[in-house]
Amino acid sequence: MVSINYAFKEIISKIVYYGPGLSGKTTNLQYVFKEIPSATRGELISLATDADRTLYFDFLPVNVGKIQGFATKFQLYTVPGQVYYNATRKLVLRGVDGLVFVADSQASKMDENIESLQNLKDNLEEYGYDIDQISMVIQYNKRDLPDIVSIDQLESILNPAGLPYFEAAAVTGEGVFKTLKAICKMVLDQLKSKKMEPARQAKPQPVEAREPVSVGAAVAQPRAPEKPSARVPNGLSEAAVEVPATPVRSTDKISTPNVERAVILEPEIPANVVVSDAVDERRSAREEHVEQEVVEERTERATMDGDGTDSGYREKYDVGHLPLTNDYSDFERKQPERPSGFTHAHDYNFSGSGDYSSDVPEINLKANLPLKKPQMAESRKVKGKKKKFGLFGLFR
Amino acid sequence: MSREQQVLYEDQIQQVDQALTRMIKEAEAKCALLVDKDGHLITRQGFTHTLDTTALAALLAGSFASTREIARLVGEPEFSVLFHQGKKDHIHISLIGERTIMVVIFDDRTTIGMVRLYAKEIGETLRNIVENTEERKQDGLELGKDFSESAEAKLDDIFQDKF
Repeated sequence: MVSINYAFKEIISKIVYYGPGLSGKTTNLQYVFKEIPSATRGELISLATDADRTLYFDFLPVNVGKIQGFATKFQLYTVPGQVYYNATRKLVLRGVDGLVFVADSQASKMDENIESLQNLKDNLEEYGYDIDQISMVIQYNKRDLPDIVSIDQLESILNPAGLPYFEAAAVTGEGVFKTLKAICKMVLDQLKSKKMEPARQAKPQPVEAREPVSVGAAVAQPRAPEKPSARVPNGLSEAAVEVPATPVRSTDKISTPNVERAVILEPEIPANVVVSDAVDERRSAREEHVEQEVVEERTERATMDGDGTDSGYREKYDVGHLPLTNDYSDFERKQPERPSGFTHAHDYNFSGSGDYSSDVPEINLKANLPLKKPQMAESRKVKGKKKKFGLFGLFR
Repeated sequence: MSREQQVLYEDQIQQVDQALTRMIKEAEAKCALLVDKDGHLITRQGFTHTLDTTALAALLAGSFASTREIARLVGEPEFSVLFHQGKKDHIHISLIGERTIMVVIFDDRTTIGMVRLYAKEIGETLRNIVENTEERKQDGLELGKDFSESAEAKLDDIFQDKF
């Protein structure tokens, strides 16, 4: 499914390399990654096993540049080819715009090619896609190996519809770019024919789909079944797709992150995939109710009663001996007596003479203090020092 | 499953950007991405300069797709929220509508609870913005007749065959 972003002015299409195990899908991508200018491609992401077998997918973003003001990008994916990875193959197929079926030309792999092609059709049908509606090319890979099937035989078995095909040897890169150019052009041509109109309802699919399927605005572009009339002498067949004789150089390339090496991601990922949460309204409502109850309970325990006591603590602590009361009427009676030697300030006789020593009585406050002196913390005691200070001759 | 093209307009993206920026500020997250289920990056906000967001979008969509299958196998319709906990950075992924996922990357400056709260809050807003695409009358992108030639030229320029 082509994504058109008017805000960023870009068109993004998805191309998937499909085929049996070890047919050369990942090798195709690795060659593309190595050979195209680094400004036009991103990082090659490979989710693979230790034995370099694709586990989930390989991913390579390619930016061909601006065409009519829109940055045209292709996202190249490969699928794992082994049979028991069918579930993940299906996931990668979602939203595909162009398919490259990479067939292994070896005679011993013929059954696997047929099985993989059938698997592709089945997976597309599950999504409600019609294989005849999707842009697709076939690549007959490993043409450099000895025990290979002839092109005519391969065509009759794997390509009865007459799709464009290319011979290739991906390890050397032969035929890789031709295949990719062809599928890219087919996808863009299909885009142009649809003219980006709103999706219309599709014709009813023979396979029961879960939801209404729309194949896009226009009728699908008719396939190009015609094979090239004359074969190219060098042995590699040319597709029906036309290419200009002299390539025009383009200068406006949009830069992408410059990465020089492919990243192989091991299945063991350091981050912990921990929590997944299902939307269950009943469960969430129940949880919320429980949480609310807990909060309310805590609130009740924390409140104080009107008289300033905490009823929650009454049971725990014996507060009977503490007369907590607001009645201070007997305060005067309960006040400690003033020491006898204490003289109020107005009792002093300021006679004007400088000598006050005979008039001022000696006071020992320590004996008269009603309260117990608070104990100083050990750490704050100044050991070994006794301070004597005089303040108007009162303290010695 | 529908085959219609996904078309997004500038004003929609602006609304989405505003909503994401607000969410990042309130949740104190590092950045947020909006990704199509097919792995296309729709938009991003926040501190994304050090991230290869294209690859990230593809991987996150793949991850979400695989956990969706896991959910189906265990009997759940879908896992609508995923959380990846790392040592320093964490990722919160939530489903927006049917076709979009919102990814929030955050660190220990905030908590998963905060991120979940604000992500949930903003999810409804984003869903309305994104899903209104289909109802709009689209002007249509007119591709001129020289589109094919330009495209061929670009492809030949990049995929230069040695053989």
